[in-house]
Amino acid sequence: MGSLDVDYLEFAKDVVARAVERGVEAEAYISVGQNTSVNVDRGEVEKLSQAGSKGLGVRVIRDGKMGYAYTSDFGESSVGKTIEAAVNLADVADGDEYRSLPAPQPLPEEDLDIYDQAVVALPIGRKVEMARRIEKAALRYDERVVLTNRCTLISQHGTVAVANSKGVAGSYDKSFIGGFVMAMAADENDRSVAFGFDFGSRLADFKPTAIGKDAARKAVGMLGGRPVPTQRASVVYSPMAATSVLGALSRALGADAMQRNRSFLEGKVGETVAADLVTVLDNGRLPGGIATRPFDDEGVPTGATRLIDEGVLQTALHDHYTATRDGTASSTGNANRRGHASMPTLDASNFYFQPGQETPEEVIGGVEKGLYVESVMNTASINPISGDYSISAKGYWIENGELSHPVNEVTIALPMQELLHNVKSVGNDLTFVPMMGALGSPTIRVDGVMIGGSS
Amino acid sequence: MLPTESIRRVLDAGLTKGADLAEVYLENKESLALTLDEGRLEKATQGNDIGGGVRVFYGNNAAYAYTDDLTEESLIEAAGVAAAAAENANNAQVCADLTKRESPVVSRIERPFEEMSTQEKAGILREMDEVTRQHSPHIVSVQCGYTETRRRVWVYNSEGVWAEDDRAFIEFQGQVAAQKGDVRQSSATGVGGQVGLEFFDDRDPVAMMPEAADTALLMLDARPAPAGEMPVVINNGWGGVLFHEACGHCMEADFITKGASAYTGLVGEKVGPDFLTAYDDGTIPGRRGTMRFDDEGAPTNRTVLIENGILKEYMWDLTEARRAGRASTGNGRRQTFRDMPMPRMTNTYIDAGPHDPEEIIGSVKKGLYAKRLGGGQVEIGRGDYVFTVTEGWLIEDGKLTAPVRGATLVGNGPETLRLMDMIGTDMALDPGRGMCGKGQWARVSVGQPTVRVPKLTVGGTE
Repeated sequence: MGSLDVDYLEFAKDVVARAVERGVEAEAYISVGQNTSVNVDRGEVEKLSQAGSKGLGVRVIRDGKMGYAYTSDFGESSVGKTIEAAVNLADVADGDEYRSLPAPQPLPEEDLDIYDQAVVALPIGRKVEMARRIEKAALRYDERVVLTNRCTLISQHGTVAVANSKGVAGSYDKSFIGGFVMAMAADENDRSVAFGFDFGSRLADFKPTAIGKDAARKAVGMLGGRPVPTQRASVVYSPMAATSVLGALSRALGADAMQRNRSFLEGKVGETVAADLVTVLDNGRLPGGIATRPFDDEGVPTGATRLIDEGVLQTALHDHYTATRDGTASSTGNANRRGHASMPTLDASNFYFQPGQETPEEVIGGVEKGLYVESVMNTASINPISGDYSISAKGYWIENGELSHPVNEVTIALPMQELLHNVKSVGNDLTFVPMMGALGSPTIRVDGVMIGGSS
Repeated sequence: MLPTESIRRVLDAGLTKGADLAEVYLENKESLALTLDEGRLEKATQGNDIGGGVRVFYGNNAAYAYTDDLTEESLIEAAGVAAAAAENANNAQVCADLTKRESPVVSRIERPFEEMSTQEKAGILREMDEVTRQHSPHIVSVQCGYTETRRRVWVYNSEGVWAEDDRAFIEFQGQVAAQKGDVRQSSATGVGGQVGLEFFDDRDPVAMMPEAADTALLMLDARPAPAGEMPVVINNGWGGVLFHEACGHCMEADFITKGASAYTGLVGEKVGPDFLTAYDDGTIPGRRGTMRFDDEGAPTNRTVLIENGILKEYMWDLTEARRAGRASTGNGRRQTFRDMPMPRMTNTYIDAGPHDPEEIIGSVKKGLYAKRLGGGQVEIGRGDYVFTVTEGWLIEDGKLTAPVRGATLVGNGPETLRLMDMIGTDMALDPGRGMCGKGQWARVSVGQPTVRVPKLTVGGTE
């Protein structure tokens, strides 16, 4: 732990103490960090950005009425103004009997492996070198890789502190290192682009070369892609593509969506909602996980939650509010913020399909004719309220259990309700993607998907 | 914000290691957001984000450092961090005299946000909620939001640029879910602009809610959309988001100068029908993408992107303009002082064409009418795009016959533009809710008349 985090926790407690004088329940959230971003182009450092940033968010509740204000200025008068603004906004809000702040709970003592001193100490020269390695690996992969774009290395480390008037007080340090690149491949007839990326908490696990190779392999592979005829067929999702299903599923599994008529899974706890191969977990304590932390953004200890167990819906994701409103549930530690400027909202942490036994090759090998989907676009359009699912896809046509020609400009569509039931195999290659927390999936096969393509 | 003598000292600090150009960007953003859900004013948030950054250019490259502590000392420290990256450059530059630039763009706020109480603003949300709930017993969820943002920016550079802008935005959003039996559908709407409280003189956020509810109700009884290739007619106004995504992004200079865009090297070439003209115009009063100066101090322009089907110009920021040895078009934008600028669209639209909108629908034997589009995404390198149709209709024998749900449009931007064979006379800009994501968020406007694409892939489930 850094020596500064004690100070920030004390500062958070001070802010709470000052706010409490106004006759409110109060919570202070502080986030402080250092960010570096390096962008290289043909070996040159094209863009380099580095800085520290800090922020304070103050949430107050009086008679179930909530107000929130934030600032990046930690000066005495700015903090006073922020508290004042939050208190005034609470007066405008409507009361809600379930609205309160959580009481402290014991934090399990364990190493979550989310802070690596090696990331913090990494000199700028090494970061530039890593960004160059990403690019070089992409360009050297194949002569058809003509250029890279946005070749970027990002490293961050920082401290989060949360304190509230019920006695919650905690802080932790977190580090992050990640990189991505877009590779473009071209031949005489076609061009194609693909992204590669990697990310994590630990420097030792970070593989810049693999990022470049992965982008290049995908871009070259997609050259000459074409739509297939419109038809209903089996679809095999790569782990990256399968996160399209998980993103919408995580929102539909939020108790806020269920309590407010905004989930296609509402009222289905205890029912079979998916094939028995499907088990869905959320684990905020997954060691080294991108969304791992000891407590959530309102100070409740994170945990592991089994949401769908062998196809049967078990429970929803909860924060303190939804659990209080439910009456019998407990918070699953899923309150989340996008920085100090946002109030906590319910979100998944490390959210994933439990892997199965088959290798990805075996999953593909089981399909006579179908589509292997490598990447998808517009997953934000998937509707967790209606379950409508229709997105665009790129990948390869599967013939007799093997990948044949590349496919692009097609759509894949099936209501989520049916899609979950139509899962036919689950691979053993669980991989996480840094979206909406962290979504993880192995290769999965879904049958009866409508593929929209040529006539 | 800071005295010009301080700014000059910061710029000089940025030039010490031999950079070609140093730039200071300062920002003060204040915002208020209110959310009403389940009939309760549930979330009320207010905040202030202040900071600045120093960017140092050396050759084609740039280094940036920022701080949320707006003092001369902190900015000089940031300038030192940025300047260090230019260590091997050896241009001895000094800061030119700073001269404040004037802009012809009218962007005056007549009535500041403070003239209306937060309680009154919340009252509008309550009215939006009530009207929607009373609209139909099938409405099961209503969420409404109000956001006001005031963003002031100051840009200075060592070539003597001194530009200021003051941008104020109002946004109302609504989300409605309707249910019959097991079927549930939702619809979203919004209205806004770069405007003060005079917004309410000619716009009514309450009135948009029953319309959004109608879409959700209509979709309850809609049949699943067809899948496959067919003619598609896209509605005017917000429908222009398709041009923005599928073509506009491919005309942003960062992808162009790298050779990474489908439109690289095509200036002067035919990219669409003779009757297609398209603009990016950062000067339209009151629109979300309007700026007096962009975030690099360059004046905004009405840029002709395509004229009579011929590609005329790309959208440039300072970095890419320097690379190409030309001037910026005023398209350098950044989300906050924590971000480096990049070329972005402002208010982008297809101009009116020769065809009667009714005749456009009448011309289709069997196809899809995309009345309301949701969001979309493009892969800039190739121009492949995808869009969600939030309210779609089947066209049979030139008539709208049945609503369909769950439709998606996929295609390739440059190809779609080449194929586009009818452009209506009914050009309209969107109601003011466009937010564009390209690693950073930027407020934009889009627009177009009714257009027809004779062959597009529709991704439905039938």
